[in-house]
Amino acid sequence: MADLATLLFTALGLVFFAAGTVGLIRFPDTFSRLHALTKADNLGLGFIALGVAFQAESWAQVARIALIWVLALLAAGAVAQLVARAALMRRGGA
Amino acid sequence: MDGLWIRAVAHRGAMLGAIWAALSAPDPEGLALGLVAVPAAVALSLRLLPARHPLILWRLALHLPRFLAGSVTGGVDVARRAFARKMPLDPGWIDVPPEPSGGLPGGARVALGGELSLMPGTLAAGCDGDRLLVHVLDRGGRFDASIPREAREIAAIIGHRRDRPQGGA
Repeated sequence: MADLATLLFTALGLVFFAAGTVGLIRFPDTFSRLHALTKADNLGLGFIALGVAFQAESWAQVARIALIWVLALLAAGAVAQLVARAALMRRGGA
Repeated sequence: MDGLWIRAVAHRGAMLGAIWAALSAPDPEGLALGLVAVPAAVALSLRLLPARHPLILWRLALHLPRFLAGSVTGGVDVARRAFARKMPLDPGWIDVPPEPSGGLPGGARVALGGELSLMPGTLAAGCDGDRLLVHVLDRGGRFDASIPREAREIAAIIGHRRDRPQGGA
């Protein structure tokens, strides 16, 4: 049962990582690509973390997996703004 | 050493202590090292982001489900657009008047930008003066209500009121 949940959630996570990559390639400009990367990859990592959590042997491991996702989430929110800002300044928009 | 400061030390100590415990459990030596590392981290955090606003935890807790739901919707929305044969995109910038974000202190504004970047359709690129720069994937989307709402919620979490400007914040 736990293995099934792991398979299901990690597969779902990979779909979102693929979506982020497809968006990175297909979307027309830097800013739209950033949307794809931050939002889709964040969700992909969330599902992979959830899937892997079903294999954890202790609550400490679950906490560590959750911590990884939270830290990546914070980093994604901060880095998206920084990259968007840098791209905007290079274009002379702000 | 006022109430605000004590509260900030308690909140940050609890949060950083929980992180340390998660990282080092169940090793007792690692936990003992935390007795030095956690206070040092709290001191550093108070230096980098002094306690000027109280963090209202129950409001933060109430906000979390909405944030999680929004970030799931955001991921699904962008994935749908990426996979669609005719990518339904109409990217552009929208003007966010200073009203919702201008009153927020710097750290809260960064939090608002980070949050908006994970919500469906919006991406923050920092501020231009008091104006929040927001890029949207679909200019036809309706963001005029959602962005001020996020700003209001974040303002509420730090107990910030626009009608009472706070000196030095």
